[in-house]
Amino acid sequence: MTSILEIESFGFRYANAPRNAVADFSLEVTEGSILVLAGPSGCGKSTLLRAVNGLIPHMYNGDYSGDVKVAGRSVKGSEMRELAQTVGFLFQNPENQIFMFSVERDVAFGLENLGVPHDEIRSRVDEAMELLGIASLAKRAPHELSDGQKQRVALAGVLAMRPKLVILDEPTSLLDPRTAKELVELVARLRKELGTTFLIVEHRLELLVEVADKMVVMSGGRKVLDGSPQEVLMGDLAEGYGVAVPAVTKLQKMLAGDGLVRGDRMMTGTELAKTISQAGH
Amino acid sequence: MIEFEGVSFTHPNGVLALDNVDLRIEKGETLAIVGENGAGKTTLVRHVTGLLKPAKGRVSVDGVDTRTTTTATLSRKVGVAFQNPDHQLFSESVEAEMAFALKNFGFEPDVVAKRVSWGLQTFGLEEYRGSSPLILSGGEKKRLTLACILAWDPDAVILDEPTVGQDALQKERLAGTVRMLGAAGKTVVIVSHDIEFLWPMQPRVVVMKSGRIVADGPAAEVMQRREALDSARVAQPQLVAFGQELGAKPERPFVDALGARRFIEGRRP
Amino acid sequence: MMWLSGGFLFRSSSSYYHRLDPRVKLLISILMFVCALLARYIYELVLVMAFMAGVAVTAKVLARVGRTMFLTATFSAVIFVVNFLVTRNLVSSELYAVRFVAIVVSTSLFFITASPDELEQVMKTFRMPRDVVFAFVTAVRFIPVMMLDTFQIMDAQKSRGLEMQKGNVFLRLKNMIPVLIPLVVNAVVRSGELAEAMESRAYGAVPKPTSLVRYKARGVDKAVAVAAVALFALTAYSFYVVLPPLFL
Repeated sequence: MTSILEIESFGFRYANAPRNAVADFSLEVTEGSILVLAGPSGCGKSTLLRAVNGLIPHMYNGDYSGDVKVAGRSVKGSEMRELAQTVGFLFQNPENQIFMFSVERDVAFGLENLGVPHDEIRSRVDEAMELLGIASLAKRAPHELSDGQKQRVALAGVLAMRPKLVILDEPTSLLDPRTAKELVELVARLRKELGTTFLIVEHRLELLVEVADKMVVMSGGRKVLDGSPQEVLMGDLAEGYGVAVPAVTKLQKMLAGDGLVRGDRMMTGTELAKTISQAGH
Repeated sequence: MIEFEGVSFTHPNGVLALDNVDLRIEKGETLAIVGENGAGKTTLVRHVTGLLKPAKGRVSVDGVDTRTTTTATLSRKVGVAFQNPDHQLFSESVEAEMAFALKNFGFEPDVVAKRVSWGLQTFGLEEYRGSSPLILSGGEKKRLTLACILAWDPDAVILDEPTVGQDALQKERLAGTVRMLGAAGKTVVIVSHDIEFLWPMQPRVVVMKSGRIVADGPAAEVMQRREALDSARVAQPQLVAFGQELGAKPERPFVDALGARRFIEGRRP
Repeated sequence: MMWLSGGFLFRSSSSYYHRLDPRVKLLISILMFVCALLARYIYELVLVMAFMAGVAVTAKVLARVGRTMFLTATFSAVIFVVNFLVTRNLVSSELYAVRFVAIVVSTSLFFITASPDELEQVMKTFRMPRDVVFAFVTAVRFIPVMMLDTFQIMDAQKSRGLEMQKGNVFLRLKNMIPVLIPLVVNAVVRSGELAEAMESRAYGAVPKPTSLVRYKARGVDKAVAVAAVALFALTAYSFYVVLPPLFL
């Protein structure tokens, strides 16, 4: 399996900042996987994301150390326009990344910037809107959309550029639980259909445990935990780093400690209830 | 203390946001309002302090009709913490930010000074006293806006999506504050999507859908009603769903993992 | 604010006039504007405004234009008074006042019937630099967002005891400070985020970006444009040659 993202002892200190926002961070992400990045506010997640899509160092000044490679190419040595075609970035607030007055024009924005020929823009825009189920909104203005719809429009604009790696920065924070769940299901589907790699920063982990392949926890600018969601959430350290361990997982850990259920495989609530009932407790 | 009687409201764009809502919030109650985006939660909250006036029906706070007074007057009794702190922070220092409302409400200078110090200490913001509120982190800004409200000691507090963008530790601290307010006899209204955050506090839960209240009762009761929650697109707390599958008594749901563990241990042969 | 949103903000519609090529709509508005400047007597201005009303009817925006006219008339009254006090000439003061209304209406007719997309298209036709066009696009795109921000900030500050309806002019101005500062701060933060999002979507990657939409003038558009110019020529000719001077 090939790596789409390789981070080698990356560190960054913003100009005029007293200390590093990220220090000595290494990570490898396999192509086609879903990685969740968790950690308390201010732990350096945003800095790391910016370093992956090139905003650092291309838009931010500071001390840069180590190396970040996307699809085998150093981010530092690439230009923003090349990176924009490999790495898509869905920012936290979809409002601030929709530029045009109509949905379809906004989805086309990146392609227009790249000078993609007219006919190809049309087909790629239609394809992206179809993929995200927003074709019926094509002519709508941004202010006529709900938050969930804005999120999809922004994501369609990112996907139209056919990136290999897509970054989602707290994509569900403005969404209600159902809409959030639909977004997570969408991500799982896109990974399957397009083979896209996803790097997701999220606080609401209960939504993502089932689809994520890997979970990384940051604290104080460093990587402190790294493994499968199961290894991270079932481990003893996650809560101490401010990771929101889902209630059912907490319970499973307790019960495993009592010797009532297995502790080596994370279960959903339904699985856990079934196991307990079958055990006759 | 807060009462809605047959309240309807239509937005200028023609969307019916509240449809004949009746709701009585008693003094000292902790109440959660849940529902999907666009269900009318925010519109409901904006009626309490007269930011919106009902097109039909009546909203009153301690018996005073919101149409007969101003938002500023009503806010003295009901403090509203809005979702986005950046929509209100403007002073040159954190200290001045806290004093702003106190001065508006006409507190004496020595009382203002005392209350400001209390707020800064209680919410761990003392070190920023002289700094601009704009340099604070997202979590600190949220804390500051809440401190600003509690400083004038309103009888009721409304929190609009208080957990958005907050990490687990910040949420825990917030839950502590809500409990403290409840213990102090304050009325607390929380509008939130975050069911997992609300559930351990066991508030009274009001479920909204398309501008109407479709369920209203203690969390332990409302959160069992899977069909009602489904139709309002509200998630069920993980532990409630788990308890139902395990056949736990509906009147004694699992409030936290420890409760569930006790139940399971109790059933051991 | 209401005046601005009613008189100048585009709302989508499928009227014949809305569907015209934006360049033709601009041409018509400019010609009406020039006619308003050329008119030398009140009754000529009234004729021009009657034509505008006709356009408004075709575009199904007569009610909105009417409101704009009414509100503009208030400003116009000021112009009339000032002009009269200075010149002591009733007729010319009247002419200036009515002309002002006509000019505003002709401009507003263009803005309420041309979608922002079409405005952008028009700007591109005039070969304005991409950055300028894009700055304009985002500015218009964020008007509704900023308006919402303003309302939310006002709500938040009223909820902190700020009385916005009371007091004299100076107090009210002072009370705007807690609203204006967060508004500006938010706008600055927003523009930073926009810049990051633009970079991430390859803004400025190639010197000549392509476009999803292509506007092509149809036969109807060309016909309307020719008719408009012809009518303009006729009007101008009538104003100066045919129609009698009539002071009303």
